[in-house]
Amino acid sequence: MVSATDLSDPTVMRPQSASRLLDVRGLSLSFATIEGELPITKNVSFSIRPGERVGIVGESGCGKTVTGLSLLRLLPPQSARVKGEILFEGTDLAGLSQRQMRAVRGRDIAMIFQEPMSALDPVFTVGDQISEAYRAHFPASRAEGRERAIAALAEVGIPAPERRCDEYPHQLSGGMRQRVMIAMALICKPKLLIADEPTTALDVTVQAQITDLLRSLSERTGTALIFITHDLGVVAEVCTRMITMYAGEVVEDAPVDDALLRPRHPYTSGLLRSLPGLSQRRGVLPSIPGRVPSPTGMPAGCRFRPRCMHAADGCEREQPMIEVEPGRLARCWRASDLTLPGAVN
Amino acid sequence: MAETNSAVKDILAVRDLRILFPTRDGRDTVKAIDGMDFDVRAGETFGVIGESGSGKTTLGRALVSLITPTHGHILHNGTDPESLSTSQFRKHRRDYQIIFQDPNAALNPRMTIIDSVIEPMEVMREGNDASRRKRGVAALERVGLSPETAGRYPHQLSGGQKQRVNIARVLTLRPKVIVCDEVVAALDVSIRGDVLNLFTDLQREFGLTYVFITHDISVVSHVSDRVAVTYLGKLMELGPTEDVIEHPLHPYTRALLSAEPVPLPSSMRVDKRIILQGEIPSPVAPPSGCRFRTRCPSVQPRCAAEVPAWRELKPGHSVACHFATAEGPPPDNQNAPVAQ
Repeated sequence: MVSATDLSDPTVMRPQSASRLLDVRGLSLSFATIEGELPITKNVSFSIRPGERVGIVGESGCGKTVTGLSLLRLLPPQSARVKGEILFEGTDLAGLSQRQMRAVRGRDIAMIFQEPMSALDPVFTVGDQISEAYRAHFPASRAEGRERAIAALAEVGIPAPERRCDEYPHQLSGGMRQRVMIAMALICKPKLLIADEPTTALDVTVQAQITDLLRSLSERTGTALIFITHDLGVVAEVCTRMITMYAGEVVEDAPVDDALLRPRHPYTSGLLRSLPGLSQRRGVLPSIPGRVPSPTGMPAGCRFRPRCMHAADGCEREQPMIEVEPGRLARCWRASDLTLPGAVN
Repeated sequence: MAETNSAVKDILAVRDLRILFPTRDGRDTVKAIDGMDFDVRAGETFGVIGESGSGKTTLGRALVSLITPTHGHILHNGTDPESLSTSQFRKHRRDYQIIFQDPNAALNPRMTIIDSVIEPMEVMREGNDASRRKRGVAALERVGLSPETAGRYPHQLSGGQKQRVNIARVLTLRPKVIVCDEVVAALDVSIRGDVLNLFTDLQREFGLTYVFITHDISVVSHVSDRVAVTYLGKLMELGPTEDVIEHPLHPYTRALLSAEPVPLPSSMRVDKRIILQGEIPSPVAPPSGCRFRTRCPSVQPRCAAEVPAWRELKPGHSVACHFATAEGPPPDNQNAPVAQ
C-alpha cells in the first residue's frame, strides 16, 4: 500500500480490496501514568466498508476520540500502549514503521478535528497549507500545488477560492476554516476520513452547511467517513451506521435508522431518551442515573450494569458482542429479550 | 395578554437597550446589543436563542447588572438598578442572579465546596458562620448533593455536580430571577436531563423567574414558556414557545429550526432543510436595514433600505420582518443575490 507505485496521480482509481476497507480488531489502549497503567479502551472491534459513513457516538470519556487518534497512531508513543490490529486494506497499521505511517496519513486516511484554528498554522496562507498536504505525497510543482489547492477550496464551497487561497487562517470565519480543513484532508483523495467532532465548535446554521458538505463529498468521491461525535442528531443526518461506545467499550453497532428506532443496548436507549427535543415539552426529562465509572474502578462484566435499569443476574459476567439480528451487534446478553424505547417512543 | 397592563410590573423590563464596546484598536465599536425591547414576567421561563455573535451573553450579563447599558434601561421590578445607591444596589442585587456555562471556571479550585456556597451569604453579611454553613449544606442537599460533598474540592466533582454546586450557591440568596447562560452546554447528554429537571423543580418550589440563554433549540423549547430569537444584537422574533417552534414567522427562525439536527430515522425526517448561506456578519459593521438580509432566502430590495418594524402579528407573537404575515415567513425570493 505504501509502495512507490502508489505515488501516482490520485485521480486514478486504485483497486479496491474486498468488502472491508478498515478492520479494527481487539484494539485496547492504555496510558502509562505515575500510578501505573490506566486502561482507556478495551477490545474495540469494528469494520468500515469502502464509502461507508459510520458515526462513533458516546459521552465524554467513553474513548471515542482516542480510538480515532489510535487508528492513525497519533497518540504519544511514550505513554500510550496500543494492543490489537488496525487492518487497513489488509495491512496492519499497528505494525508499520513511523516512516511508513507517514505515507498513510493524509494520503489513504485523513483526519479533521474539532477546532480548526488549532489545526492550522497561523503564519502560512491556507493555500500553502493545502498545497503542502498534497506535495507531501505527490511530486508536484508549487504552481500545481496552488492550482490544486484552489480547486480543493472550490470543491468545499469557498467563494472566490483564488483570493481565499492567499489568505491566512485568522482572516477566515470558523465555518470557512473547517472547510479549509476538509479541503486539506481530501486533497489526496483518501479512502477514509476520520472527523472528530468537526462541527461542535460551530453555530447550528454553519454546522448544517458542514454536515451537508461532508455527506455530499463522501457520496460523490466514495471516501468512507468515521464521524466521531456526541450528537446523535448529527449522526442521524450524516451516517449510515452508528457505533455506540460506553466506558471504553463498543456496546452497540447497527445501521443508524435501526439504532434510533429500536436500540438494542440499554445505554443507547438511555442516551436517546435523554434528548430534550424528543420528550414532552416541560415534562420530566428521562436521564441515566449515576455516572460513568472511572478507568480504575470499572465494574466486572457489563460496564453499564450499575446504571442500567434492566440489570439482572448474569450481567456481572463478561459481555461479548452478540449478533442480535443480521448486521446488528449489542454487548448485552439480554438484548433479544428487552424491548427498549428509541427516538420515537 | 397582560403585558400592556401597567398595573402588572414586569420583573424585568428591557427598554431600547444598546450595549456597545470599543474594538481593541479603539477605532470602531462592536454593537453587541443594538436596540432591544422586551419584558420578562414574574414566574415564567424566558428563553433566548441565538448563535455566537448574536449578543445573548452580553444580554444575560446586562440583565443582572454585570454590564452597564450604553443606552436605554433595564428595569428590575420597575426600578432602574443604575439609580440605586451603592448599599441599596448591594441589597438589590441578590434578587437577580446568574449562572454561567462553565461550571469549572465559576468555582475557585482552592476553596472547598461549602466555602464557595456560603461566600455569597458572607458578602451579604447574613447570619453567623454556623447558620451560613447550615443553610449551605441544606442548599447542597436540595440540589441533590450529599453533605459529604461540602468538604470536597471542585476537582473531586464531576461537571454535573459542579453545576449543581453553582445552582446551590445562587439559591442561598433566595433570588427572584436567575439568568442561566448556557448552563447545560458543558454537560453530557445523559446528565443534562437531571440538571434541567432540577431547574424545573426549583422554579415550582421557589417561584423563580428564569431567563434561559442558549444556542440549543431543543433545550430552550423544552424549558421555556416564551422564547426570543436574537441575531446580531437585535430581536428577530418573540412569542410563546410552542408558537415560535411550530409556526415561526421570521425566515431566520425557520432556518435556525430546520438546521437543528434531529435524531430521527431518515424515513421520519421531514426533509425541508434550509441551509443558510454564509455566516453571521461582524457586529462592528452590521448590514443596513434588516440585519439578516445578507443571508435571508426571502430578501427584497426594501430589506437593505429600511429597518423592519417590530410588529405583533399574532397575540403575544411579534416579529421584525417587513414581509412576514401571521401565516408565516415570506416565500423565498428566487432572485435573491447569493451572499458573499
